[in-house]
Amino acid sequence: MEEKQPDTAPAAPDASTEKVISIRGLTKSFGEKKVLQGFDLDVRRGENLMVLGKSGSGKSVLIKCIVRLLDPDAGSISVLGQDVLTLDQEALDRVRVKIGFLFQSSALYDSMTVKENLEFPLRRHWIDRKHQDVDALVEEVLTAVGLPQTREMYPSELSGGMRRRIGLARTLILKPEIVLYDEPTTGLDPISGKEIVELILELQRTYGTSSIIISHDLHVAKLAANRIALLHEGRNYLEGTYKDLLDSDDPLVKKFFIFM
Amino acid sequence: MERKAGIQRILMEVGDLAYFTGRFFRNAFYPRFEWSEFLRQCTVNGYRSLPLVAITAFIMGLVLTVQSRPTLANFGAESMLPSMVAISMVREIAPVITALICAGKIGSSMGAELGSMKVTEQIDAMEVSGTNPFRYLVVTRVWSTILMLPILVVLAMAISIWASWVGVNIKDVVSWELFYRQVFESLEFSDFIPAFIKTYFFGLAIGVVGCYKGFNTEKGTEGVGQAAHSAVVVASLLVFILDLVAVQVTDLMGLN
Repeated sequence: MEEKQPDTAPAAPDASTEKVISIRGLTKSFGEKKVLQGFDLDVRRGENLMVLGKSGSGKSVLIKCIVRLLDPDAGSISVLGQDVLTLDQEALDRVRVKIGFLFQSSALYDSMTVKENLEFPLRRHWIDRKHQDVDALVEEVLTAVGLPQTREMYPSELSGGMRRRIGLARTLILKPEIVLYDEPTTGLDPISGKEIVELILELQRTYGTSSIIISHDLHVAKLAANRIALLHEGRNYLEGTYKDLLDSDDPLVKKFFIFM
Repeated sequence: MERKAGIQRILMEVGDLAYFTGRFFRNAFYPRFEWSEFLRQCTVNGYRSLPLVAITAFIMGLVLTVQSRPTLANFGAESMLPSMVAISMVREIAPVITALICAGKIGSSMGAELGSMKVTEQIDAMEVSGTNPFRYLVVTRVWSTILMLPILVVLAMAISIWASWVGVNIKDVVSWELFYRQVFESLEFSDFIPAFIKTYFFGLAIGVVGCYKGFNTEKGTEGVGQAAHSAVVVASLLVFILDLVAVQVTDLMGLN
């Protein structure tokens, strides 16, 4: 955590790297409002892919469809080789355990302490684990997010940035292969935001996670994303590295970079 | 036009509530059972409701006795007071008053707690971590109200009868043994059993409505308030409707 971070994210994995998420023709509407209209996306193992788009463009809807918090109207979603849209509840829960989800609101259980929040998923999926194993894992993830002193605190006693970190620790405790970040820096001050970005990179290095980062924050795009997909009018408008997009002559991309 | 939309909305709500109840029964008898959460809910909904239920039952028993006494005295039927209070309390007042108190206390707390969890995405967080929130949050809460309400009602019956004896002793001196004997000579199993059985349905209604309102909360903080408020209103109304059905059923069975 102490080491100096590079100015831009590392290069994206090459095209031959295994796909951990593959989305084809994803469509989702809410009443008359068409949010996703045939969205395609591939995420490769070990990469941080950022989905960039205006507020209300359907970025959060996209990742909620991946974990089936929302059911899409059409299309296919393959996660770690399994078509999540056809799985029964039990099989879906097994896939969900391999996916960490950081909510924009952190979504910590407010009636539980930080320790109980972290133990909750662990005890439910590894019920044969010994007490000291659970304690050690809680300690490990709290140290990983730099907040070992918050064990006995309640979410209401934490700042916004700390809550976001604990939310991340809770997703990490099950050692997910994929992490979905929903607006990880929104609502945070620039310093806390930068700390979250550093944490995302640190987790990618340490745990080898693959991620989808939903954001409209270009600093996150520059520092944490190996690859960026631009979501526009429900479709994957353009993909590339931060530099590719920065150098792009596409009027929409230019407008995006100027205004954001 | 507005009235038509209102009726349509009520019918849709009834349909959704029926579906939610069906979903509870589909999940209620199959593993995985959330034993620790169920026991926690029994403590919250049963043990912590006890003081309120006990105080109310005491007051109801005492008030009914004190207010009925002059009327019975006019007919020279003061000796009927223990029987009258016991039958009223066991058959109707203790079950209904306890259910209404629980609809207020438990229904509103369930609506507000689950509603708050819904709008702050805590239920979604539970779901994406591979935990079935319906089993963890709803099944445990509804089972706890189904099982705790009859216990609270029996305690309310006992406390109200004791309070009636206290009420009788404000102006007269009647021994507990005599009072107790008069009460139990007038009570039959056909008074107690239907009253006891209907409390399971009251518990089901309170638990299902509280959870349904909380689980379907929308519109942020305002929605949480609405969920708590409408949980109390709908659960209380259902208690009266179930009571009406119960009295018809017991009448048809010749138990009245």
